[in-house]
Amino acid sequence: MVIIKVVNLVKSYTTYKRGSGFKETVKSFFRRTPVPVRAVDDISFEIEKGSICGILGPNGAGKSTTIKMLCGALYPTSGSVKVMDYSPARDRAKYVRKIGAVFGQKSQLIWDIPPIDSFAMNKAIYGISNEDYEQRLKEMVRMFDVEEVIHKPTRVLSLGERMKCEFIMAMLHKPEIVFLDEPTIGLDVIAKTKIREVINEMNRQGTTFILTTHDLEDVEQLAEHVIIINHGKKVFDDNLSKLKSTLGNKKIVNLMLAKPYEGDSIAGALVIRRNNELDISLEVDLEKQNITDFMKTLTNHVDFKDISVKELPMDMIITRIYNE
Amino acid sequence: MNYLKHKWEECRAVAFVTYKEWSAYRTHSLVSVFVGPVYFIVQYFIWTAVYGDSGSLAGMELTQMIRYFGVSALIGYLTMDFADWNLQMLVRTGKFLTFMLRPVHHRFFALSQKIGHRILGFFFEFLPCLLIFHFLFRINIVPARMLWTILSVMLAFLMNFYVNYCIGMTAFYLVQAGGVRAVYQLISQIFSGALIPLSFFPETVQWIMTFLPFQYTNYIPAMVWIGNKSIGQMGFTIPQAVMHQTIAVLIVMVFSEVLYRASVKKFTAVGA
Amino acid sequence: MMSHVKIYLTCLRTSFSQAAAYRADFLMSNLITLLSNILFPLATILIYTNGAEFTGWSMWEVLLIQSVFSMSSGVATMVCSSILWVTMDHVRQGSFETVLLKPISPLFFILSAHFDTSGIGLFAGGLTLTIISSVHVGVVAFGNVVQFLILFLAGLIVLCGLDLVMAAISFRWVGNSRIPEIFDSMKEFGKYPLVIFPKGVRIVASFVIPVAMVGFFPASALLGKIGAWTFLSVIPCVLFLIFGVWIYNRMIKLYEGVGG
Repeated sequence: MVIIKVVNLVKSYTTYKRGSGFKETVKSFFRRTPVPVRAVDDISFEIEKGSICGILGPNGAGKSTTIKMLCGALYPTSGSVKVMDYSPARDRAKYVRKIGAVFGQKSQLIWDIPPIDSFAMNKAIYGISNEDYEQRLKEMVRMFDVEEVIHKPTRVLSLGERMKCEFIMAMLHKPEIVFLDEPTIGLDVIAKTKIREVINEMNRQGTTFILTTHDLEDVEQLAEHVIIINHGKKVFDDNLSKLKSTLGNKKIVNLMLAKPYEGDSIAGALVIRRNNELDISLEVDLEKQNITDFMKTLTNHVDFKDISVKELPMDMIITRIYNE
Repeated sequence: MNYLKHKWEECRAVAFVTYKEWSAYRTHSLVSVFVGPVYFIVQYFIWTAVYGDSGSLAGMELTQMIRYFGVSALIGYLTMDFADWNLQMLVRTGKFLTFMLRPVHHRFFALSQKIGHRILGFFFEFLPCLLIFHFLFRINIVPARMLWTILSVMLAFLMNFYVNYCIGMTAFYLVQAGGVRAVYQLISQIFSGALIPLSFFPETVQWIMTFLPFQYTNYIPAMVWIGNKSIGQMGFTIPQAVMHQTIAVLIVMVFSEVLYRASVKKFTAVGA
Repeated sequence: MMSHVKIYLTCLRTSFSQAAAYRADFLMSNLITLLSNILFPLATILIYTNGAEFTGWSMWEVLLIQSVFSMSSGVATMVCSSILWVTMDHVRQGSFETVLLKPISPLFFILSAHFDTSGIGLFAGGLTLTIISSVHVGVVAFGNVVQFLILFLAGLIVLCGLDLVMAAISFRWVGNSRIPEIFDSMKEFGKYPLVIFPKGVRIVASFVIPVAMVGFFPASALLGKIGAWTFLSVIPCVLFLIFGVWIYNRMIKLYEGVGG
């Protein structure tokens, strides 16, 4: 069943050029130069109930604008958004009761007091009954493993702990759909894993998740449905396995060599970038050889001082998809 | 009925959380317990010197004048407000978004916050200073007409809130909204009556002030509190003064609602 | 000594180029502080226009006290009020160590690195009002101006001392953003003719926390209203500053002892 239906969605706005100097500032006070921006440019897609959908794209691609329109915090310029039976921006007052949202940097928690007090405030705002609240809180606290954390003042919590509490705060009222804007940004691996685990568990219980991210790993571990946005346009909309087969299973290896290497490939991996004669990047295709074999051959071929292995960066993914 | 009950629960929860949030800083309120009496002492000697032998100045006697300054400070503690700063901060940092995503009207939320914050002010600023003024300085601080005074102070509380909330909403439209706030505070300092009773101003200025919000936040409630027979340039009785205050509050409430709708519309149009 | 002057001038130049970079902000904040501080004499003007007075003082004489006060506060804002807010900020964030790591005395470092240009407006406003009031009061003798300058300097010393005492308090009362209000309320006694206060207050304001030196004494000197004994109260001003430096440094020692 389709729970979100977006048709020809457009969001454009006018920003104004701001001068930097004094003269410019004064001038812009009286007459400003308008700069039209088309943040979301004719996007259509559908999301199934009970799925996890990842919206990917580099910074400034239009992900956040899209998710804000899905949440009802922004009016579309044209096109339509339908979530459940609501038109989010127009029916905002009723609609926001049904959804939960975590916007990475924009905290709902109150800085100087323990999260548990902030939770109680949301309980009143959403009008959650005592029994529902107790039961839900207990369940979520157990899932995130934050029994002690929620009694400490928010300001002393680590970023990961705070994020877990943001999640609880946003989901106490049992929303059917939860929107997450960059939910794992800046977190350490352990916190990331925990949060992903909980998202998956909640999803098994029937909650639909829509998340924006520029971390490919988030998508790999969570989403079956992937939408990629770049420059306000949709460039990919399919399931994860399709994305994987398009991209192949590739890793980027950055090397700091001990002495210059001139060739186009090392150990079967192409040299894709050369910062200088000692600092190079290789692309390893894991479908052709496994990483252990590659490392063995690599150490036999060249001397290096430092090495790091990374996922394909977002900009490369997008170029690949364009080229398909 | 259910709606009202929910609103009540919501207000109580937000006020309680705010109370708790600021409780951590309650020793900071002790600054008021020092600063308030110091300013009062200064005013006391200024006016004692100024009155000299003259019986009345600008329609007030010395004892009234001294009570006026004590009461004016106390009203300040009960009605103090930072809705303007808070809202501007929320808009500037984009955190206002989190209120768009919850079934809550931010102005109601902010009013509840203020209630919680001022309950704290009541216990840690208002009460200690009241006791100091009354028992240490021997100033008769008991309102002449208790019910009218309570009503008038409550109206001042609302007036301050709604006006400040409107100032805060300028952040939706201006990048440098902090300037608007500073200018408003400056004007308010002079014309609220906290600097000097408005009856000292020329007639025309007083007449203009009838149509501006400033005097309804401090001067009018202070005059009601000390029980002056004739309030303001138009010589209101206490009930008349409170009625005018009520009308002024209603006008600002309507204005703030209009501005709020426009602001939310703007926010949802461009995401500010 | 010369190297200290050099450091100070270098930092001063940085402060001004910073202010120049944000000229719009700079003008705005200066304009507002200027307005709010030249408007406070309004109460005095209203008192006089309503036919009352401070016995023995004409309106322009009282305004002179208050404009000298503004001038003094303006200079103090530029030169030394940074001690208070910089210390407050560092202590709250637990980053005072960064000050201690500098190879110069912490106090000197704060003073030179944080020249506050927002005092310029206040000073300019005070100066303008001082000149206007002086003109209304009548001829001011050259000798009086010299006396004024000496006492004005003593007033700055007091403000600096007060800043240090408040900053010392902020080491103990961590995170209290309202400490400057205490500072402002203490200064209140320097804004009016000292004679209106009872003897006890007068003694405190002249000899213990000599805030009368901020506005009242220098303005009186300008008016030729002081006797030679007034210069004796320069001594408590210097003592007050010494006390401020002592207690501030002591708090730093204690802070180091506790460790971050």
